[in-house]
Amino acid sequence: MNRPAAAGAGSAVERYLAEVTARLPGPARAQVGIVAELRSGLLDATDAHARTGLPPAEAALAAAREFGDPAQVAVGFGAEIAASQARRVAVTLLVTGPLVGLLWVATALASHLGLPFAPHWPWAGPAPGLRAVIYLVAVAAVALAAGVTAWAAVLGIATTGRLTRWRPARPRQAPMAAAIAGFGAVSADGLGLALLAAQLAIAPGKLSPVLAGTAAAASVARMMLARRAAHRCLAIRASLT
Amino acid sequence: MRAETLKGHLDGILLAVLEPGACHGYAIMEALRVRSDGQLDLPTGTVYPALHRLERAGLIQASWSVAGGRRRRVYQLTAAGRRALDTERSTWRDFSAAVTALLLPAAPAVSPA
Repeated sequence: MNRPAAAGAGSAVERYLAEVTARLPGPARAQVGIVAELRSGLLDATDAHARTGLPPAEAALAAAREFGDPAQVAVGFGAEIAASQARRVAVTLLVTGPLVGLLWVATALASHLGLPFAPHWPWAGPAPGLRAVIYLVAVAAVALAAGVTAWAAVLGIATTGRLTRWRPARPRQAPMAAAIAGFGAVSADGLGLALLAAQLAIAPGKLSPVLAGTAAAASVARMMLARRAAHRCLAIRASLT
Repeated sequence: MRAETLKGHLDGILLAVLEPGACHGYAIMEALRVRSDGQLDLPTGTVYPALHRLERAGLIQASWSVAGGRRRRVYQLTAAGRRALDTERSTWRDFSAAVTALLLPAAPAVSPA
């Protein structure tokens, strides 16, 4: 197809796209496809206006006018970016959670770590009862944090997928759920690392070094990524009107 | 007709426009204008986020294609989208019949005996 109008439409179309892009939340990666689609639509519109006899520059201006207020378009896409980012974070956390959890369980099994009430309780010391309680509380806290993470991640996925056919759109809900899942993952991994540090301080010889090292590295990496993702989701949520 | 008037019906309208076959964003907008005899005065840019929302809901699916040297995102109805369109149509028939009966009564109201 010849594109004489679109070829001369650069400035008005690009100006319009720049105005939309400046208002879009989220990382550039999430915006690329949107901007490309809008650009091809604007160039199609420019061609359509040029066919009515307008010179290229005026056709491009007419196309930009036809597309409407860039702020309004950005608001519409902002909700979509929020949903897709929240979904991506929630799915990643839901997939990596059990994997990291399994690493910790494998570490505990391979290291012959007993439960506080088991006969082979490995921690010796003047107050084993108190230590057992602290240990149990810490394990329960990990389980609670993992549970909150899973619940929030499932909510984040449910509110951004096919269920949206039947429920009213609440664009701010999914980023909040994803952020809660992210901070839940940070807490779960942080508590797991604290338990490892305690074990290292009390009975380092009992730990399986390879598995413990792998689980710790996985948790540290997940903590950093989850923290960043959670902050990003909160920032996107704050940008929604 | 302004965008506010369309509120709540835009999804069904977009699904209906896509019923005959796959379309890219601007072609959908042109089809909206043609099929409504130019009555729909909707900012073209606002149609695109609505298409993304329908895609997320699984009612349409999108793929990139290149035609005439221009990359376009082409949308088509999914099976769930066709079912949703049927539901929209049936809901609209009931709704429009009820509103027509109220706004445009066929005969003057019968006075009480």
